[in-house]
Order: sequence, then C-alpha cells, then structure tokens
Amino acid sequence: MRNLAAQVATPPTHRNKPAESLLRQAGRHRGSILAFVLVLGAVAISVLPYLWMVSSSLRTMTNMFSIPIQWIPHPVNWQSYVLAWHAQDFPRYFFNSGVVAVAITLGNLLLCSLAGYSLAKFRYFGRGLLFILILSTMMLPLEVTMVPLFLIIKRLDWVNSYQGLIVPFLVDGFGVFLMRQFMLGIPKDLIDSARIDGASEFRIFWQIVLPLCKPALVALGVFTFREAWDMYIWPLIIVSKDSLRTLPLAISLFMSSYGTAWDQLMAIAVLGTLPMILLFFFLQRAFIQGIAVTGLKE
Amino acid sequence: MSSAVHAEPMMLKRRLHMGTAAKQAAFGYAILLPTLAILFIFRFLPMLEAFVIAFSKFDLIHPAHFVGFANFVDLVRDPLFRNSARISLIYVVFSVLPVWPLSLGLAVLFNRSLFLKNVLRSAVFMPVVMPAVVMAVVWTFMYQQDGVINTALGWFGIDPIPWLRSSSTALPAVILIGIWRATPYYMVIFLAGLQAIPTEYYEAAEIDGASRWSMFRDITLPLLKPTTLLVMVMTVIVAMKVFAVPMIMTGGGPSDSTRVLPLFIYQTAFEFFDMGRAAAMSVFLFVAVMLFSVAQIRIFTQAED
Repeated sequence: MRNLAAQVATPPTHRNKPAESLLRQAGRHRGSILAFVLVLGAVAISVLPYLWMVSSSLRTMTNMFSIPIQWIPHPVNWQSYVLAWHAQDFPRYFFNSGVVAVAITLGNLLLCSLAGYSLAKFRYFGRGLLFILILSTMMLPLEVTMVPLFLIIKRLDWVNSYQGLIVPFLVDGFGVFLMRQFMLGIPKDLIDSARIDGASEFRIFWQIVLPLCKPALVALGVFTFREAWDMYIWPLIIVSKDSLRTLPLAISLFMSSYGTAWDQLMAIAVLGTLPMILLFFFLQRAFIQGIAVTGLKE
Repeated sequence: MSSAVHAEPMMLKRRLHMGTAAKQAAFGYAILLPTLAILFIFRFLPMLEAFVIAFSKFDLIHPAHFVGFANFVDLVRDPLFRNSARISLIYVVFSVLPVWPLSLGLAVLFNRSLFLKNVLRSAVFMPVVMPAVVMAVVWTFMYQQDGVINTALGWFGIDPIPWLRSSSTALPAVILIGIWRATPYYMVIFLAGLQAIPTEYYEAAEIDGASRWSMFRDITLPLLKPTTLLVMVMTVIVAMKVFAVPMIMTGGGPSDSTRVLPLFIYQTAFEFFDMGRAAAMSVFLFVAVMLFSVAQIRIFTQAED
C-alpha cells in the first residue's frame, strides 16, 4: 500500500484521457459544489456563536430570549457596554491581562531564542541531555504541577503579585524546541565569518541570528500571547486580590455574580475577545503559522 | 630544534583555538542558563515536590507529615475520585474521536481550490481565536433553557434540552464545546501536513485514473501519518487537561457529572485544602498523560509494519 506513492511518482508513459474526461469533469463539478456546501456549514457553526454574542450584547433584557429570535437588536442596547464596563474595575483587569501577556511573550521571545541558539549552534558537554530535559517539561503541564507550584510561589512570597503571574511562564520547553529547530537552518559560516570580523558573541546573536529568525519569532510571539491572554487556572490559584485580577478571572467572577445580566455578560465577552480578534486580523498569517508549527515536531 | 620551531606556532594556534572553543562553550552555557533556572525551579522542582507531598498529609496550615501510601490507598477507594477519573476518560474519548475525522476532513476540503477560500478558512478558524473563558460564558448563555440552541432545536420539533442543568446532558454539552474549539485548531495542523505532500503524486495518480477516494487512501493517509500521530497525541493530552470550561460552566456538577480530573485536583487542593491527596491525584494524572502519549506512539509504529 505504501508503495503506491512511489509508484505514482514515476510518470506513466501512456495517457488515456479523452474517454473519461467529460464524466470526470461533471463529477468534479458536483464534488466542488458539495465541498463548498460542507465548508459553508462549518463556517456557520464556527461563526454563529460570535454573531450571537455580539447580537445579544446589544439586545435589551426584555428581548433577550424573545421568539422569534431577534438577530438584529431592536432597540439597540448600547447601555450594556457602559454598565458592564463600570460594574467592576474592568479597565484594571484589561491592564493586568495586558501586562502579564506582554511580559510573558517578550520573555519567551528572548529566552526561547537564546536557549534555542545555544542548543543549535554551540558545542559543549551535556548539550544533548539538557535538550532532552528541556523538551521533557512539555510533559509537566500546570494541571499536574499546580499544587507544588503554588507552594513554591507561596514560599517566594509571590502570591498576589505580578511576578507570581509572570515569572514561571517566561520560558517554555516547546518554544525552545521551536527556535532550536529554526536556528539549525542558519548556516554556520555566517556566524563564523562574523566571529572572524571580530563581532562579539552576543552581537552575533542580536544582529545576525535574531533578524534571520523573524518568521519563527512572530509565530512564537502570537502563539505565546494567545496562551497567556487565555490563562485561567493559574491566576485563579494565586490571585485573590481584586487589583491583580486578570481578565479571564474577572469575566468568570462577573458571571457568577451577574449571572442573569446576559446583555452585560455578552458585552464583556465581546470586549474580552476584541484583542484576540485584532491580533488575528493584523497577524493572521502568523496566528495560523503559530498553530501550524505546533505540529512541527521532528 | 627545527621541529620545536614548527611546533610552537602550531601549539599556539591550537591553544588559541581551544581558548575560543572554551569561550564559545561558556557563552553557550551562559545563554542557556536563564531557561534552565526557570524550568528547574518552576517545572522540575514542583514535579519532584508533587511526589513528596503525595506521601504526606498537608493542609497548608499545619506542617506536613509523612503518611506513606495512605493518600493513594484512599484515592483508589474513594468513589468520588473513581468517578472523576471515569468522567475524564469519557471526556477524552468523546471529545477527541470526532475531532480527528472532522479536522482532517475540513483540511482536505480546504486543500482544494475553493471559492473565497481564504475568507472561509479564516471564518472556520474563529473558535480558536475566542478566549476559553469567553467561550464558556457565551456557550453557557446559548445552553440556557430558553436559549438559542433550544430555540433552534424547536424548529425541528425537538423538545428543549436542560443541557447544563441535567447530569445526563451536562457532560455532552461540555464535550461539544471541546470539539467546537479543537476542530479548527487541528485542521490547521492537518492543512500544513497536507500542503507538505508533493502535488506530483496526485497528478500522476490522476493520469493513472485513480479515484479521489483511492488517492486519499493510498497517497494522502500514508504520507500524512506523522501529522496524524501527532494530532492524536496532542488532542488526547489537551483533553486530559481540560479545566476552564467545566470549571466556569458547571463547577463540576450537576451531581459530579462534569468533574474532570484537573477540576477535582483543583478543588481538593484549593477548596478542601487537602494538598496531599491533590498531589497524589496529580501523580495519577501525570502518569496517565505519559502513558497515553507513549501508548499511542507505540500502537502507531506497530501498525506501520
């Protein structure tokens, strides 16, 4: 079965096209219409919750569950956004989430590329073992280590602090792996000739290696930012102070206290999604690339 | 004499070279150090400590004391834990199995020429863009008794389903969201895998008169094997870690029907302050995560020959 790929790779000598071609064309036409319909179905399933979220955020509570369904709100209830925004300190929560996500992203960009560069381009004792150790951290998710990690943060007196939210996630085993794989492709000659020219090691990294890694960095950056913006379990564990709440934490608490004010809940949901939507629109390629490369092991 | 004259610059050169090699190695270590420090303190140390705590009684207030295997013995006997492990298993199986064919199917559809392809692909990708917590809030709203999903079901004459309020439908409701979120994610990975397959194979097969199905079976699937394996492992591991959605939507209820393992670990540790038992569960989850990835890779490599 596997040989077929090899078989078909060698072009056949004869072609017997004409007899089949009309039938085939008709079949293909039907096929592409079917494909289009299937894709449209998938689009609907993917997008409708978004539309419903936006529509509901602008509907008045009296029309919230009205039948027939009111897709286009009438009257439009802009008030829900104002009320929700002021119901709790949401500007603060946005700020917190922004600080945490940006810091984690910058940290990963720097540390993952430094570590990746080290593992890809330097020879030293224990390199292979260190690489495997770093990779193996991918098997230690937060869901497994949350209890002792919390105890460590407690001992450091980092509960309810930005450093407690940020520092444990400044670098990631997968990110290191990703940067290493990318840097393996950078020619050694380039680095060596810079050395002969007398450039310092750090300058070589900063001015020659890093600019060449831009595609990998953008993908890693977007991927990391998305994960950091999404982070829920960790703030839930170490943040009890209102002033340090991140947005996901605040949204979930908002739901438990304003459970039936659906217009306001949907308004906050829209606002909380907005940064991701913007990121997706402006960095769409990198966004998708960031996901695609997670399938790039080996 | 003359050999000494020759040897001197040679040695000098070698010493110089050794010097730079050592310097370079030092730089290599130095730039790896921050990563090693962070990963050691915040990944390995906790894992090691998890094993220690798992053998202790510890409530955060009184000092921990060693209790041997008591936590593990209690766990095995505890119907709540067994239930939680069962819920996690059901969640993993039913949230993962549909994702494989769905994401591969979508990827195949998007790998052909299609009207408005790029726009449609971005649209399909949207569930990945939505933050997990927002997703939980929006779907909770849609799952309400008089919510939009029940209204839509009504069009087909289906009676309203109590979704999150009934112990028989809450888990399927949570699973459905997992599928909604995961499918476009893995579609992207499959698509990358598909695009790596040289088109010549298909062109040649077409000339040979191969049907679309046989091309898919005999070219696409075999060449996509590494991607498929990876998607299988990733989906299972991600599903084992599910937390935010059940935590926010149901808190584990009704009557424990959505209390997946990570949720139970969290509640045992931070609501009941039984750190020892929570750590013992963590060890269990850790072993499960490892077993699954190893087992799946095994099964797959055996199927190859």
